Amino acid sequence: MARLHQVSIYSSILILIYLLVLFEALPIPFIDASVAQEILPVIPWWLLVSFGSYSLWSLGWGVFTFRDCPEAYHELLQEINEAKNDLRSRAVTVD
Amino acid sequence: MNPFASPVSLNMQGQYNTPNTHKYSVILPTYNERKNLPIIIWLLAKVFEEHQLAWEIIIVDDASPDGTQEVAIELARAYGEDKILLKPRAGKLGLGTAYIHGLEFCTGDFVIIMDADFSHHPKFIPQFIRLQQAHNLDIVTGTRYRSTSTPYLSETQPGGVHGWDLKRKLVSRGANFLAATVLNPGVSDLTGSFRLYRLPVLRHIITLTQSRGYVFQMEMMVRARALGYTVGEVPITFVDRIFGESKLGADEVVGYAKGVWQLFKSV
Repeated sequence: MARLHQVSIYSSILILIYLLVLFEALPIPFIDASVAQEILPVIPWWLLVSFGSYSLWSLGWGVFTFRDCPEAYHELLQEINEAKNDLRSRAVTVD
Repeated sequence: MNPFASPVSLNMQGQYNTPNTHKYSVILPTYNERKNLPIIIWLLAKVFEEHQLAWEIIIVDDASPDGTQEVAIELARAYGEDKILLKPRAGKLGLGTAYIHGLEFCTGDFVIIMDADFSHHPKFIPQFIRLQQAHNLDIVTGTRYRSTSTPYLSETQPGGVHGWDLKRKLVSRGANFLAATVLNPGVSDLTGSFRLYRLPVLRHIITLTQSRGYVFQMEMMVRARALGYTVGEVPITFVDRIFGESKLGADEVVGYAKGVWQLFKSV
């Protein structure tokens, strides 16, 4: 089963449950009906904002912790020189 | 089969004091790499000899007009015809088919794929091999985004990139975030192409892969995970475009997004 199908099935089930609860077809135990009716319509927007802030944080953190490696660059340049000299002695064309 | 009775092992006995009797094949697709090819081969040979590993390099050249194949023949003469194999093709046919072509001539039991333009440094190959052996992994991939390996290996250094400005880093992180959210691949660097594969695993995955370009590398990793193969990561340093500037156009971004969507639908 492809990932698209998996995600579609899960999200359809969750959306169905959400809509049933929202239109009071399904009761939620342990929570007052009035409280539930105030919170439920807001849940999708809350999910969206949470996902947005998580993405932003993730990107910012990723860019902040992105390492530069100048020492690798210099080491590589040195090795290229070394390689060129050694290869010339082995009769390989380098320029 | 008794690993100590394999041809590689029998040849190595008495020469190397090493328990590693596997042979490592490197497939190098090249196009117009006349300047870089000798040096990358020199680096690879140095690393393999230092760590006493049986090795071979298969150069798959797509009819380069600049004389890459002549240099490859000189290198084969210098290092040995059994070590440097030149397997040319008639025209520029693409990366995926280059690997398939190279795989036909592999005599090793592990395959390493990497770029020939110095962005991937062979010095990380022994770390890949150590990690693979320690945890019996099917695939080990290099990652530019992590500082430690998964699973943990003590001799790794933190990864990184040289030659990328802030905008490029942001695009890279964004692309990775998109792929990670949509595909949940379990690896931190999905577009990386510095990998060690077990030979049968690579053969299996490559027959299933359909895309082209760097989406091809992503697809191989995603398919491997979907098929249940074990993957480890080692941090690598990536020196981009040692000669010249790194460019990323809008077309590539759109192509990338399309590629991720394709993978989401099909794997």
